[in-house]
Amino acid sequence: MERVLVAMSGGVDSSVAAALLVRQGYDVVGATMKLFCHDTDLPDRPCCSLDSVNDARRICEQLGVPHYVLNLESAFGRDVVQDFVDEYARGRTPIPCVRCNTFTKFRDLLRKADAIDARWIATGHYAQVVGGVLHRGLDPAKDQSYFLWGIERAVLSRMILPVGAQTKAETRAIAHELGLELIAEKAESQDICFVPDGDHTKIIARTLGADAPSLARGPFVSREGRVLGEHDGFARYTIGQRRGLPGGFAEPMFVVDIRPATREVVIGPREALLGHGIVAREINWLVDAPPIGAEVEVQIRHRNTPVRGTLVRSSADEVEIVLETPASAITPGQSVVMYDGARVLGGGVIERARRGLPILAA
Amino acid sequence: MPEPIYLDHAATTPVRAEVLDAMQPYFGPRFGNPSSVHRWGREARAALDEARERLARCLGASPDEVCFTSCGTEADNMAVLGVWRARRAEGRPGVVATPIEHKAVLAAAHEIAAEGGHERLLAISDDGLVDEASFESLVREDVAVCSVMWVNNEIGVVQDIARLAGIARARGVVFHTDAVQAFGKVDVDARRTPFDLASVSGHKIGAPKGIGALYIRRGTPMQALMFGGAQDRGRRPGTENVAMAVGLARAAELAVAEREHEWTTLAALRDRLEAAFVERIPDVVIHGRGAPRAPHITNVSVPGTDSESLLMALDLRGVACSAGSACQSGAITPSHVLSALGVAPDLASAAVRMSLGALTTAADIDRVAELFPMLVAKARGLAAAPAR
Repeated sequence: MERVLVAMSGGVDSSVAAALLVRQGYDVVGATMKLFCHDTDLPDRPCCSLDSVNDARRICEQLGVPHYVLNLESAFGRDVVQDFVDEYARGRTPIPCVRCNTFTKFRDLLRKADAIDARWIATGHYAQVVGGVLHRGLDPAKDQSYFLWGIERAVLSRMILPVGAQTKAETRAIAHELGLELIAEKAESQDICFVPDGDHTKIIARTLGADAPSLARGPFVSREGRVLGEHDGFARYTIGQRRGLPGGFAEPMFVVDIRPATREVVIGPREALLGHGIVAREINWLVDAPPIGAEVEVQIRHRNTPVRGTLVRSSADEVEIVLETPASAITPGQSVVMYDGARVLGGGVIERARRGLPILAA
Repeated sequence: MPEPIYLDHAATTPVRAEVLDAMQPYFGPRFGNPSSVHRWGREARAALDEARERLARCLGASPDEVCFTSCGTEADNMAVLGVWRARRAEGRPGVVATPIEHKAVLAAAHEIAAEGGHERLLAISDDGLVDEASFESLVREDVAVCSVMWVNNEIGVVQDIARLAGIARARGVVFHTDAVQAFGKVDVDARRTPFDLASVSGHKIGAPKGIGALYIRRGTPMQALMFGGAQDRGRRPGTENVAMAVGLARAAELAVAEREHEWTTLAALRDRLEAAFVERIPDVVIHGRGAPRAPHITNVSVPGTDSESLLMALDLRGVACSAGSACQSGAITPSHVLSALGVAPDLASAAVRMSLGALTTAADIDRVAELFPMLVAKARGLAAAPAR
């Protein structure tokens, strides 16, 4: 019987994943990762709360498998929370879930799997591994492959994603069928788990201090450099944002650039958001790296429709992609994921947009 | 899988058959409330009084010096906080403890600080022994109460309670010892050792969880933590847990009767286990090794490993051990005891505590003596291998 270490959040997806693996005859070991302190969290959060740890433990009890709590607090703090705060300080908009998957959920979990002789690791992600290649989840409404581009390629050969080929409704139905009533109708987790009330600036203030430059007042400026007003911290803004900007313009205005050195938030009209190319770093390939000139489908945001592009430059740590049609709000810090249909080729962290956004030109 | 091995007696122990038998009638026909005037009440009162007398004998105490509590934590809280509050008006704002106390004492000392007192922690040696110079300098005339754990629950180090209690007494400082791990291992006798207060806990010695006791020397100032009826001289209001008090008394008698034999047996097993570790893992660190230690606890760290993985791997092979303390989620958090000993964080986060007791056999020890070095070698192999 092959052993599998299942990362269990206490939610319906990972609970059903564990239950399916038990049913398939695996030697299942459940583990809940404790990523931050539970002293101050809200009791009704669907994941990452003390209650959710207890739910995962009870599901394992019900399934008759052992359950452990893994204390990954310091690693998560270093690899995910600190990076999150630093990125905002650099005027960028990070996606902590990507780094959590890359470092915490898969790298750290795999080490624990090794320690207990587990051949496999499993999670409740909606994505699939087909022939050693990561694929989108079958349910387009739930596909989470966008968040998984950063995992080490070698992990794919040891990864099982039991719910990736079904819809959320099917997952819930299986939960009922297996008698996992405790979690079968649990709400989806939406927010960033370590940001308790959706206000990420509180985490920045707690980590860097309330007087951090990214939370200090600064000017709104036009693309021409004219001061248009004052904001209360550039970390409150992201590229493409409309909310919280000064009014009185003939057309809708958006955040088109953030300049941490001068604390300027640059605003401009919709067309100023368009980019024709993307430069990305921290590149990770989940297949053999495609050659220069390769055509790829590019997704720059979770649930965005992919656009076609061409790989025009590629090195170990940086790629550049030219887009067939310009994309709106290419945001530094977000992920660019390259697909070929359902196959995930690889991805990177957006460094900057190219052309069509002269103010962003490097 | 072969029979599982329980090496976590310092966490809790199974209820002994003799103890269960002794308690049985009080869950059934003798269910009365000791405060009632009728025959049921009298019967329960008689049982409670007898339990108190028997436990008192085990502690070298008079019955009125024994207060039943719900657990060791309550006894510790009562001792530290209850005495400090009672002496608040005396111009003794201080509380002194070691940094390797149980959280029940440390958190009570924090509470004292929050209530305006002065909390001071003693210096300890690398092996966990109280530094006498530090004790001499901190335990002064402005201190209300001082608390030193007799046998440390994580590393088993035994303090010289007789000496420390003597110094405290000379300075008018009430001396408390958390004897939860000591009772049944060392001679906890109020006639021979001048402590003023001592906490014991039932579930560490074969009684159930949910019962403990505090020895309170006559004349020790004490303020109750709870408010209610006049039970236990008003020191501990609330209907007494008769069955459990009977169980604790029985377990205590057995523990005292078997104490010396238990020490010899467990020390031999512990020595055998540690000798095997030292032979098979030459760089193993045995915490507190240079100090006198109780025979039932060994706490080891192997460089290049981590507690969490080792505990999982051990558990999946049927061996139950522990490490540090668990937070409310069940995650292992770094041990405050090992960090107070000055153990480097990497080494502290590799600690595994094995604690022996009634269930431990020589065959268990031999199996763990094989298995643990094997798991350690494997863990180190993984750590040394390049990332995959």
